[in-house]
Amino acid sequence: MSDLTQPTRGATAIRLEATNHEGSLLGKNVTPAKFASGKDSGFAFADILFAIDLNNEIVLGDAFPDWRGNLYDIQMVPDMSTLVEWKPGLDSVIGDYWLKDGRPVPICPRNMVRGLLEKLAAHGYTATAAVEIEATLFEESVHEARARGYRDLTPLGGSTGATYHLARSKDWIDYMEAVVARLDELGITWEAWTDEAAPGQTELNLAPTDPLRLCDGWARTRQVMREVAFELGHTVSFMAKPTAGFGQGAHINLSLQKDGVNQFFAEDGPSALMERAVAGLLATMEGATSVVMPQITSYRRLVDLTGPPTTVTWGVNNKTAAVRAITGHPKYSRLEYRLPGSDVNPYFALAVVLAGVLAGIEKELEPPAQVSDMAWCLPDDGVVKRIPDTMSKAGAALDADPLLREYLGDEFVDFWVASRRWEWMEFHTKGGDPFAELSAWESTRYFEFP
Amino acid sequence: MTETTTLLAREGAALAIAIEDDATPFVRQIAQALRRAARTGHAVEVLGGAAGAVAVRSHDTPQAATITLGEGTVEVASGVRVVPDATVVVDVHARFASVQEVEGDGVLAAAALSALQPPLPHWREAAASFWNETREIAGIPDVLVVDAVGPDGIEHGRFGVGATEYLLAGPADLLAGIFTGADDLPAALAAGVQVKGTLSQLSVMTAASWKVRFDV
Repeated sequence: MSDLTQPTRGATAIRLEATNHEGSLLGKNVTPAKFASGKDSGFAFADILFAIDLNNEIVLGDAFPDWRGNLYDIQMVPDMSTLVEWKPGLDSVIGDYWLKDGRPVPICPRNMVRGLLEKLAAHGYTATAAVEIEATLFEESVHEARARGYRDLTPLGGSTGATYHLARSKDWIDYMEAVVARLDELGITWEAWTDEAAPGQTELNLAPTDPLRLCDGWARTRQVMREVAFELGHTVSFMAKPTAGFGQGAHINLSLQKDGVNQFFAEDGPSALMERAVAGLLATMEGATSVVMPQITSYRRLVDLTGPPTTVTWGVNNKTAAVRAITGHPKYSRLEYRLPGSDVNPYFALAVVLAGVLAGIEKELEPPAQVSDMAWCLPDDGVVKRIPDTMSKAGAALDADPLLREYLGDEFVDFWVASRRWEWMEFHTKGGDPFAELSAWESTRYFEFP
Repeated sequence: MTETTTLLAREGAALAIAIEDDATPFVRQIAQALRRAARTGHAVEVLGGAAGAVAVRSHDTPQAATITLGEGTVEVASGVRVVPDATVVVDVHARFASVQEVEGDGVLAAAALSALQPPLPHWREAAASFWNETREIAGIPDVLVVDAVGPDGIEHGRFGVGATEYLLAGPADLLAGIFTGADDLPAALAAGVQVKGTLSQLSVMTAASWKVRFDV
C-alpha cells in the first residue's frame, strides 16, 4: 500500500490504527519520537478494547482467556507496509495486536486474516478479493444528525431511490468525487462508484487485491468517507439499515490463484476448486451469519425480494442466492459472497470467507445443488435452509459450528458468541424495540459505527 | 414453543410453562419468574383457575409480552398480538412491581402480577440453589462466599470447595434476589452489592446471573 519506510519528514504525529471486534478503526496519535521508540516493540493498549461495546460499556458474560484480566496491556505493532501520509503533518499506520510472549492476540481481526492466508498459502494458493461498499449520505452535518438522534435526516442527492441513476444532484456527486480523490491520494485503489437503490445511497467498489490489503483499504475508506462528509457538512452512515427503508450490504468477491492462474476458472462452468469453496461457504453460512451480520439492525435487511440473500444457496450468475458464482472467464471467474452487511468488520468478513473456503478445500466438501430459480421466497420444504434471521439464532449457529470453531478458533467463537449475547441483551433490555421497523436505540448506537 | 413442566411442590400437580422459540429476554424473564412461582406452589395458589391473556409491558422500555393462562398451562410470547383481557405495566428492575393502574380484568391482572412476584427464599437457600444451577458455566469460581446483611447483622456462607473464590456482600434480600434471578447482578452492583474477585470472574458471574434470571 505504501512506499514509505519511515514517517514523513513533516509529520508531527503518527496515528496508530487497528480495528477491534466491532470494526471501526481505533487507535491513538503519537509523536514521531514516541513512534520511533515503539514501532518495533509495539504500543500498549488495554485489553479492554476487545471488551467494550458501542456504548462504551464493558461486555460481560463470558470467561476471559488468560491474556485478558484486570485491564492488562496488549501490544499493537505497526505494519510499516501500511504507513501513509494521511494529511500534511499526520501519518497513519495500521497495526496488529500481539501478546507479550510474541503470539498474536487470538481474536485480533487482522491477525486472523493473516493466519488464514498462511493456511491457504500452504496449499499453494493466493487469494484475491474485492468489496462493494454501500453507504448512505445525508445532507445534514453530523452535529445536526446527532441533535436529531440520527432520525428524519434528508438523503443527499434527492429523496427518490434509483439504481445507477446519473442525475443525482451535484452535492451528492461532489461528495463522491471528493472521496475518490482522497482514496487516490492514499493509494487505495477503487474501481467504480455509483448511485445505489435507496435515497442518498452509494456503492463504492474497491479493486481486487490481496485480502489483507483489501481489509486495510476498506477500513480506511470508511474513515475517508466520514472525514469528507464532515468537511462538506454532510453525514454518512454504514449502518445495515440507516433508515427504515432499504438496507445496505458489503458483497465480497474472491478468487484463488496458483502461480498467477485463476483456479476458479474452468471452460465449462465452476472449476472443481470453486465447487469446494462454494461447499465450504455454504456449510459455514449459518454460523458465519453471526459474524458478517454483527448488529441487531443487520438482521432487518433480511427481507425477501429486497436484495440481500435470505437462503443458504448458491448459483451461477444468480444474484438472488447467497453465493453467486461468476464463471467462464480466466480473469473474472470468482465467487461473490453476498451475505455481509455494510456494518461488518472488514477483517472478520474476510476471515469467515477464507475459513469457509479453506474448510471446503481441506475437507473436500461437496456443494449442494445450485439454485437456478429465484432463491428468495423458496418453499419451506427442508431442502433449502433460511439464513438465521435474528442475532440470537445466528449466535447459536456459530456456537454449534465445528468448522468455524476449527478455522477461526474456539477462543474467537466463544468470545464472539458472548459479545453478541451481550448486544442482544442490551438491545432488548435497554430500550431497543424489536417491534419497530428501526428503533431509536439502534440509530443512536449504530449510525456512526463502524 | 419450548415447554417446561414444573412439578408443584405442595399441590402435587404440574404446570406447563411454555415460551416461544428464540424468545426475547423479557419473555424469558417472565417465564423464569413463573417457574419459580410454580416450584413453590405459589403460582397455583394465586392463579387458581385463572384463564385469559395478560399483556405485560415494561414501564421504561418497549419490552412487551403476553401471558396466556389456560387449564394447567401458561404460555409466554413476545409482543401483544391479541386483544388482552388485562394489561399490566411493570418495573422489571423492581421484581415486576406494578407501576400504573391495570387495564381490563383486575382480578386476572392481580393474579398474574402475584404469580410474577413469588416470595423469595432465604438467601442461604437461594445461594445454594444458584450454585448448583451454575456449575456448568465455563470459568465459574469454585467457591461462592456470601456476606449477607440481615436484621441481626452479617451472616456468612460458603458454597462449594476449591481454589477459586468469589465474594458477594450486601443486603440479604438483594442477594436472595440475585441468586433466584429476581434481581440482576450488574444492576445490583449499583444498588449496594459489593464483590471481591477479578474482572473475569465478574464477567462469568454475570453469565451465572443471567442463567437464573433469563435461562440463557
